[in-house]
Amino acid sequence: MKNDNSNVKKTDAKGGISLFKSNEIMMLIVLIVVIAIFSIMNGNYLTYNNMTNILVAASTIGMLAIGETFLIIAGHIDLSSAHIVSLFGVMTALLINGGMPWPLAMIIVVVVSSVVGLANSCLVNIFGLQPFIATLAMSQVCEGVAYLICSGKSVPVNDVVFNEIGTTRVLGIPLPAIIMVILFIIFGLVLSKTVFGRSVYMIGGNPEAARLAGLNPKKISTILYVIAAMIAAFAGVMMTTRMHSGQPAGGAGSEFDAITAAILGGVAFSGGKGNLAGCFIGLLIMQCFNNGLTVINVSSFWQTVAKGLLLIAALIFDYFRRKKLA
Amino acid sequence: MGNYLEFKHISKAFVGVQALDDISFRAEGGEVCALLGENGAGKSTLLKILSGAQCADFGQYFINGEEVKFQSPIEAIKAGVSVIYQERQLVGELSVTENVFMEDLYRKKGGIVDFRKSHEETKKIIDLFQMPFAPQTKVNRLSVAHQQMVEIMKAYRRNSKIIAFDEPTAALSDAEIEVLFGLIRRLKEEGKVVLYVSHRLKELFQLTDKIIILKDGRFVEDIRTEKATENYLVSKMVGRNIGDAYAMLDRNDKIGDVVLEAKNLNGEFVHDVSFKLRAGEVLGFAGLVGAGRSETARLLFGADKLYSGEIYVEGKKKKIKSPRDAINAGIGLCPEDRKEQGLVLGRSIKDNLTVSILNTIAKGGIIDKKKEKELSQSAIEKYRIKTHSADKVVMELSGGNQQKVILGRWLLADLKVLILDEPTKGIDVGAKAEIYQMVCDLAKAGLGIIFISSELPEVLNVCDKVIVMKEGSITGRLGKNELSEELILRLAMRDADCFA
Repeated sequence: MKNDNSNVKKTDAKGGISLFKSNEIMMLIVLIVVIAIFSIMNGNYLTYNNMTNILVAASTIGMLAIGETFLIIAGHIDLSSAHIVSLFGVMTALLINGGMPWPLAMIIVVVVSSVVGLANSCLVNIFGLQPFIATLAMSQVCEGVAYLICSGKSVPVNDVVFNEIGTTRVLGIPLPAIIMVILFIIFGLVLSKTVFGRSVYMIGGNPEAARLAGLNPKKISTILYVIAAMIAAFAGVMMTTRMHSGQPAGGAGSEFDAITAAILGGVAFSGGKGNLAGCFIGLLIMQCFNNGLTVINVSSFWQTVAKGLLLIAALIFDYFRRKKLA
Repeated sequence: MGNYLEFKHISKAFVGVQALDDISFRAEGGEVCALLGENGAGKSTLLKILSGAQCADFGQYFINGEEVKFQSPIEAIKAGVSVIYQERQLVGELSVTENVFMEDLYRKKGGIVDFRKSHEETKKIIDLFQMPFAPQTKVNRLSVAHQQMVEIMKAYRRNSKIIAFDEPTAALSDAEIEVLFGLIRRLKEEGKVVLYVSHRLKELFQLTDKIIILKDGRFVEDIRTEKATENYLVSKMVGRNIGDAYAMLDRNDKIGDVVLEAKNLNGEFVHDVSFKLRAGEVLGFAGLVGAGRSETARLLFGADKLYSGEIYVEGKKKKIKSPRDAINAGIGLCPEDRKEQGLVLGRSIKDNLTVSILNTIAKGGIIDKKKEKELSQSAIEKYRIKTHSADKVVMELSGGNQQKVILGRWLLADLKVLILDEPTKGIDVGAKAEIYQMVCDLAKAGLGIIFISSELPEVLNVCDKVIVMKEGSITGRLGKNELSEELILRLAMRDADCFA
């Protein structure tokens, strides 16, 4: 997963500050410091129970962060991902309650969600809208439809087997967390080892140069929007099994958490740089930080403030890194 | 004592290039003074220094006998200098009035803009210019020619002492040119200093009083227009010293079959271009900036839309709708703008070298990193790209080495035709010689090369044949024996009335 970072390391080495040598090591240190501080402040923090809680809470955001990382590296972004989670979470619940076997419901939901990805890509690649604006609009559409199809109320699911998926543990680790980690590994390999992954970096670094070198930026970004939407819909399915119900507001706000995780993990907002290993550590830092604030009884309002400050800190860090490169 | 502008010993260097070398001249108020020279003679740099956009390294700049040292264009504007560039500097979403007055819109008490008064004043200027649009019109609704006029109104409104025009007639129709010339004559009568840059010799004879000839960033001479003839001017513009770089070139002499044939290509800026290119041949494309050479290259490479025409590679007709199609057909392009179009600057040398051949070094979509490393290492050694590692970020390389990375990319890609668009632009002399040799080596290896360049000595010495273009059409084809700078320049500037 770290292969693609080799060149960044070399450049940083020239800067001479050893701590900056590898972004991932730097972020790991930050993660350990965060965990250490909270464990000292409260003995209940570093317990098995709490750590698995953190992982479960991270699973939805983590899946979205995979899609966001790909898109941001390619010079795009998807603000509709959170409401795709809600929309297709609710749709899963409705389909299962309508008598559809849950595996089929899951497949249908994930396939149908590709339409949203295609729509995003259409707005950006055909009508030339800014990804930020296009997906913001799409986000509203998804949110509205999510409320429409359930008349604004959550949809409880009665299928016992389906409801168990979300709470199953394998070797003591919650299943949603395991699935998230597996997705990180698969997509991490795609990004670092494949022609497609390399193309994502190239179109994000300079789309026109990539086009004149024979890549097709529109095609690649279309695939990315579709993948991002499908992962988000799958995250919606997972959320429904965890909650035992489809929640029309279930995903709200998690797109920003996902983007924060990616940026914290060293994905450059300007495109062309970053990787999923960094994103994963960024995700853990953010979740450990949020959970820590809860454990030491900081009010949720202050937690939101803290989350914002964390993102600002990450962006300033990114600024210094870019300045050093320039 | 009227207005006058004087430059004394102005020099300016960019990385590896001496753009201006000890330029001195004086332009009087009440005269229209032309700046004439080939592409790269230093006219644009001179205008940038005039306008305060750049500072001279050495030398002095006087307005009406007072030395000025502008740190920014605003200071120059305040001192009464307006430069009207080819690229219009207007805000498309704002009205004519807002563009003409910009920072100086009339205000009521309390700082609120007095639009009625501003529009009235603009209307007066528009009437003077005999233009058909209203002050309230948004600028992006106007034709290119009218936008050019708005740009000139801006300078007129500021009541500048010194006004410079950079190729102002390029986008104008004959009627509009007449209006413009009328205005320029009027400015002249008002005692302003007018500098006029144009490649159209005919215009210079109509309009100017004095012609200053520049060559390679040096002052050649100034001559009263009535004493000059076209032949004399052209002969003074050309004739650069040819260095050893060319003498040492090991050229290819084995010309093979036709590898590329273009039949009646038409595009947005290209009209009915046909030519043949043989294996091992270096075919030059000469012409002035904007003659349609790069545009032709982009059509061949599938980067722009081909309206009509046919492209044959090794006798087979190819449908080229995207750069990928072109690469698959065996055509590569090193674009004019290396940094914006050629390279992904933030990625490594290796990534940039292999980007076009990723599919051939991958199995089942997974990149064979060992093979990739070997290939990029071989390209680095073969073309002597100065770096300690293939993982170095391209941004950190010099211009010459960056160009070698793009050339290296196409060498890995097994091409039949390589198009080079201004491959030596902004590259120092040493690296230029290396690139010339690379071009000859490629020709030896049996590639057909299209070599687009605005530097005539380069075209003369590297190419086997030359096609000259003007305004999107081919105006001449020259074989090796017929090549001369003068002839190329004549064809490139050919005006129906001028050289009839």
